Amino acid sequence: MSSSASTSKPADVSKPAEQPKEEAAQPHLGVLEEDDEFEEFAVADWDDSETDLAHLNGSAPGVAKSGGDKLWEDNWDDDDIEDEFSVQLRNELAKPKPSGDAMQH
Amino acid sequence: MSFSNFLVQLGETVQAESGPNLAYLLRPTSPHGKDLVKEFRNPTRDFLIERYGGSLESPWDEIAVQYVLVTSHVARKRAGEAFKEQSQLISQFFRYFTSNTGWTLPALFSMLRDLRDLAYDADFHAKYNGQKSECMESAAGIVAKAFSNCMTDRTSSYNDSRRWGIYYVVGLVLKCYFRVKRISLSKNILRALNANPDVPALSLYPRSHQVTYRYYLGMISFLNEDYAKAEQELTLAFYHCHCGAKINQERILYCLIPLRILRGHLPSQELMQRFPVLNELFAQFISAIRVGDISSYDAALDKWERKLVELNLWLTLEKARELCIRGLFRRVWVAAEKGTRIPVSMFHCSLRISGINVAQDEAECLVANMIYKGYMRGYISHEKQMVVLASTNAFPRLADRPAPYALL
Repeated sequence: MSSSASTSKPADVSKPAEQPKEEAAQPHLGVLEEDDEFEEFAVADWDDSETDLAHLNGSAPGVAKSGGDKLWEDNWDDDDIEDEFSVQLRNELAKPKPSGDAMQH
Repeated sequence: MSFSNFLVQLGETVQAESGPNLAYLLRPTSPHGKDLVKEFRNPTRDFLIERYGGSLESPWDEIAVQYVLVTSHVARKRAGEAFKEQSQLISQFFRYFTSNTGWTLPALFSMLRDLRDLAYDADFHAKYNGQKSECMESAAGIVAKAFSNCMTDRTSSYNDSRRWGIYYVVGLVLKCYFRVKRISLSKNILRALNANPDVPALSLYPRSHQVTYRYYLGMISFLNEDYAKAEQELTLAFYHCHCGAKINQERILYCLIPLRILRGHLPSQELMQRFPVLNELFAQFISAIRVGDISSYDAALDKWERKLVELNLWLTLEKARELCIRGLFRRVWVAAEKGTRIPVSMFHCSLRISGINVAQDEAECLVANMIYKGYMRGYISHEKQMVVLASTNAFPRLADRPAPYALL
C-alpha cells in the first residue's frame, strides 16, 4: 500500500510509445499533467498570515491593483507603445484616403 | 505490538474517545501493522472472529479483525483484496459512527483516504495487467455513504457533531468522481449539501476543507461553463490556500488565470514569478494581450494546443483572443489620435499589418462584434464604411465590464 499512491505512480508504464515525434515537439511542462490531483494538505488549518490574504490589507481577494491587490493588473492600456507596428500603422493613416469604398487589396 | 495488545489499545482509545489515536491505530502504514503481519501468516476472517470475536464491544472486535486482513494484503501487495477488506472495515465502522458523536472524524478521514489510495492502486495494477477494475467507483460510493452519515447527525451537540466532517468528505467524493471522470455524479452530492440548512457555514470549517471543496466546486463550474461562479470559487480557493502548498496553488491558478484574463485581470509579474510553470504556459498569451499582438497570440495557441486541450483550457484561451483584438483596435484608435471617425479600412489595415489576411467585410464584422460585446463604444456606418466611436470612453477598461462572461 502506498499512502502516497497518487504521486508515486510509475511514470509512464501504461502509455505505449505512440506519437514520439509530437511528444518531443510539445514544450514540456514540469507539473501540470491532466492526471494529477489536488493534493492532501499537510495540515488541517492555518491562519491568514500563511495565505495570500496576508498582503491584501483587508481588500477583497482578487480586486486587482486598482483595489490594492498586487497579484492582478486591471489596467494595462498603454497609449505610448513605440514599435514597428505603431510606425506602420501611422504611415497607413497618413496615406491619402481612398473614397471610402471597399476596393483596396 | 501483539494483537492482544492492539485490542487493549483500541479499547482504551474508544473509551477515551481519542480521534487522532484511533486514526493512527487503524492506519495500515502504522508500525504496528507490520507486527501484525508477522504475527498472522495467513489470517482468515473466520479464524480471527472465532478466536477474538467478543474481545471488544461490537463492532470494534470486527473492525480489529478487518484491520489485520487489510495489513496482511497490503504487505503482500494485493491492492484489490486490501481494498475489499478496507471497504468491509469501513462499513463495520459506520455501525459505530452513525450512532455516536463526531469524535471519530479524524479516523474516518484517514480510513477514507486509505480506501481511496487502495482503490487507486488496485485499479492501476488491474489496468496495467489488462484487467477491468472499478474500485474507484465503489470507493466513491462508500465515501458518499460517509457523507450521508455525517449529514444525518441530529443528536450530537454543535461542537461534537458529525457534520464537521461534511466538507472534507465532499471534497473526497468529488476527487473520486474526477478520477473516474464521472463528474456529473457530483450534482447529487452538491444538491443534498445545498438543500440542508443545518450544515454550518463553510467558513467555520478548517481551511484545508474549505479550499479543497472550493477548488472542486470551481472546477465543476468551469467545466459546466459557469465562468462567473468558477472564477469566484477558485479565487477564494487560491487566497485561502496555504502558501506552502505550492502544487495546489498551481493547480488552482492554471484554471483561474485564464478565467481572470477573460474578466480583464492579467496576472502580475510578481504572481507569475512565483509560478514558473504557469509563466511558461501563459507568458506569451499575456504579453500578446498587453500589446494587441494577434499573430503572437495565435502562435501561442498553436504552440500549446495539445497541452491546452488536455487541461480543458483551449476554449477559454481561444475566447480570450477577443481581448487581443480589442487591444489591436485600441491601438488603431490611439494612432488615429483618438478620433471619433475611423474608416473600416484602417481596422482592416491593422489586421493586415498583424499578419491576419481577411477581407474588409470580415474586418467590419470583427469591429461590429467588438461593439456588440461592449469592447468598443460606437457604431458602424456601413454605407460610408466608417466606424463612429463614442467621444468618451470609446474603449472601456476591460475590468469594468459589468458581466464579462455573459457574451462569450
